[in-house]
Amino acid sequence: MERKLLFSAKNITKSFYGTQALKGVDLEVHEGEVVGLVGENGAGKSTLLKIIIGVQPQTSGEMFMQGKPFAPADPMAANKEGVGMVFQEQSLIVNLSVGQNIFFGHEKDFMKYGVVNWKKMYEDARKVLEEVNCGYINPKKKVIDLNFATRQMVEIAKVVNMTKSEHGDHKCLILLDEPTSVLNEAEVQNLFKEVRKLTAKGHAVVFVSHHLDEVLEISDRIYVYKDGENAGNMDIKDATEEKLYEAMVGHSTTTEYYHLADQRKPEEEVVLETRDMGVSGVFKHCDIKLRKGEILGICGVVGSGKEEICSVVCGDVKPTSGEMYVKGKKVSYSSPAQALQDGILMIPMERHAEGIVRNLSVAENMALSNAPLLSEHGIVLKKKVDEQADRWIKKLRIKTSSKDAELISLSGGNQQKVVFARALASEADIIILNHPTRGVDVGAKEEIYALTREVVAQGKSVILLGDTLDECIGMSNRVIVMKDGLITGEFQADADEKPSQVSLVTLMM
Amino acid sequence: MDKTSTVSKKGVWKKRLMQNYSILVVILMLIIFTILNPNFLNSSNVVNLLSDSAPLMVLAAGMTPILILGSIDLSLGSLCSAANVMILVMMRKVFEVTGNTYGSFFISLIVTLAAGTLAGVLLGVIHVKLKVPSFIASLAFMSVWSSAALIISSSSVKLPKALKVTSDWYKIQIGPIGLPLILAVLFILGYHFLLTRTAFGRSIFAIGGNERTARIAGIKVDRYKIIVFAINGFCAALGAMFLMVKAQSAAPTVGDSFTLMTISAVVAGGTSLVGGAGSLLKSIVGVFIISIIKNGMNIVGVNAYWQKIVYGLIILVAVAISIDRTSRSRVVK
Repeated sequence: MERKLLFSAKNITKSFYGTQALKGVDLEVHEGEVVGLVGENGAGKSTLLKIIIGVQPQTSGEMFMQGKPFAPADPMAANKEGVGMVFQEQSLIVNLSVGQNIFFGHEKDFMKYGVVNWKKMYEDARKVLEEVNCGYINPKKKVIDLNFATRQMVEIAKVVNMTKSEHGDHKCLILLDEPTSVLNEAEVQNLFKEVRKLTAKGHAVVFVSHHLDEVLEISDRIYVYKDGENAGNMDIKDATEEKLYEAMVGHSTTTEYYHLADQRKPEEEVVLETRDMGVSGVFKHCDIKLRKGEILGICGVVGSGKEEICSVVCGDVKPTSGEMYVKGKKVSYSSPAQALQDGILMIPMERHAEGIVRNLSVAENMALSNAPLLSEHGIVLKKKVDEQADRWIKKLRIKTSSKDAELISLSGGNQQKVVFARALASEADIIILNHPTRGVDVGAKEEIYALTREVVAQGKSVILLGDTLDECIGMSNRVIVMKDGLITGEFQADADEKPSQVSLVTLMM
Repeated sequence: MDKTSTVSKKGVWKKRLMQNYSILVVILMLIIFTILNPNFLNSSNVVNLLSDSAPLMVLAAGMTPILILGSIDLSLGSLCSAANVMILVMMRKVFEVTGNTYGSFFISLIVTLAAGTLAGVLLGVIHVKLKVPSFIASLAFMSVWSSAALIISSSSVKLPKALKVTSDWYKIQIGPIGLPLILAVLFILGYHFLLTRTAFGRSIFAIGGNERTARIAGIKVDRYKIIVFAINGFCAALGAMFLMVKAQSAAPTVGDSFTLMTISAVVAGGTSLVGGAGSLLKSIVGVFIISIIKNGMNIVGVNAYWQKIVYGLIILVAVAISIDRTSRSRVVK
């Protein structure tokens, strides 16, 4: 049976601060179809969904909904055209009731003489919830009092209702971004039942998940994205987990790119060790050993706990269990300042939120972590600050009008180089690189790789959370794989014998 | 001038002008008030104006780094009131017991400065460790300290004749400039050095610019913030002493109006209320702006009740011209 095309996106691109998150992807969804969308972190899935729902505009490319050009200015506009989305980060307003959330923005429908008819709103909310088999949820309850799985069902009910109410006879497109990550097995099945009910009526669903088994179970067709490009489009009858993995992972590691000739064997000395460390609800039983001169890669999907391990090691978050030893000394940090005294420093993932001070100069931003080195008798010497800035601007080829330019005037990649320079200029000898190449162009990436090799050659140690799996394997001496807050595997990654990406991915998902 | 700068000379001047517009405001004010009343610039009024600005200068010294942090202290004025009556009441008590003139002054001064510092630490700790926004925490303390001032003394207290000698230094003149203003400016310059040339001071700008970045970069954020609040408390007490010596009396409400005046002065000088940028040198200019307006309004004959409207407007105007409205993601609460 040939189904009618409901939605299509053609050659969509998106660049942020000069880096391309999407390099021209396509997506076609037919009526009554469930389309799975898979890919590594950063492959561009979430970016595309945000463009479709109108959170951000594409840089170029066109979208069509039911044959008509489709360019929503915001999610409300998208809803009106019959496109609804359940966001990965939940979008419910937690201090309002379930009913208020379901009809948020549609209160007018319940107004009479300017007053909201609460009774009717809650009655209708109950009906909506019953329709998605969630009649057990009290619509008068505040969202903050519900657990995450229940909130997810409320969110789905809200989207289903939103698209339904305005398009009784129209066909709708519903985007589900990681909807199952907080659901248990039974709830997932419940969700699938609901999805099938929707598609039976001719509506279509785009389903994004890291759980390939779920994608295979629910989808009619599966798109694979990789590095912002189409890497595959397979019918469900041709798709297997192995094929999907292969398409997601793509090409193999190149020797020169990661400077494998410079990869050295680490020394025996253990500089950092965690024993049975954990943060309740996030990760547990974490035993990690980092050797002097080693690059230790940690990989896992978002929510695997790898970020939180870094937060604990760099002193930003206190562990709730277990012990940590740095250079043989038992430590317990209450702030990154204390960790820095033991030589631990992190380059954070969220550059804008945690990496830079926008209104300070390039030179000042570089000098944040090593004031003692630049001081004499407690006075910070401007000459030393400037010399340091000049040295690193030259060494990392940072493009800036001057070392006194405000950091925000630099491009993303150059900002990241400044953050990198800060870490390298400090006395830290255990450096946590949390996505050091995020939002950095290819040329700068390679420089950062070369620099990382140089750093470990000096006897410093690195914990690396790669932006891609490829990077993590390519750069590391050893790779730890995490899933759902537990370490699920450890691979030796010698220069001449790198583990395959597929073998890691199977332990991640 | 910076050798490596690629900005053209004209651009540099334009930028400098934008950064130092507050000096232009001072000149403009001087011209306006002189036109309105030629007596404005006569020597006795200038002397008066300059010596009047000393207490505000001390208070602005404390407040500027608080605003650079992106915090605020609304309790400054009432803490100043409490310290104002505290120092004089204590002087009288100590003098009664010991009969030592200067001894009673210095003992009371040291105890009051310590108390002010402690009050600052208390506010800082509550703000930083309990994560109470400084706006709220200081609003609560505003109420606490104004009550404390009234408990220490419910009415104004006079400096006894026998102790008047301790206030003589306030009248020493070096040319047209009084000793109190010189001391206040020296104090502000010292703090300016601390703020621009030490790791502590430079961190204040980083914390105000992006506190998360500062923390992850290994800066002792909590400790530095508390120190800034402690110094602010110290300044409130020091300013209170200036006010007491100047008036040769103390009153439990004398400092209350200074919260608004201090914030107006710092903001008029060019320190941002959003945090991350500002300078104590600019605050010196800001203090003169406020002092000139206050003095000028008096001399032109503007009713005192109207003056607070002007300070309020100054804050609004200064913030409205300086705030960055380009960022869509900035949520203003």
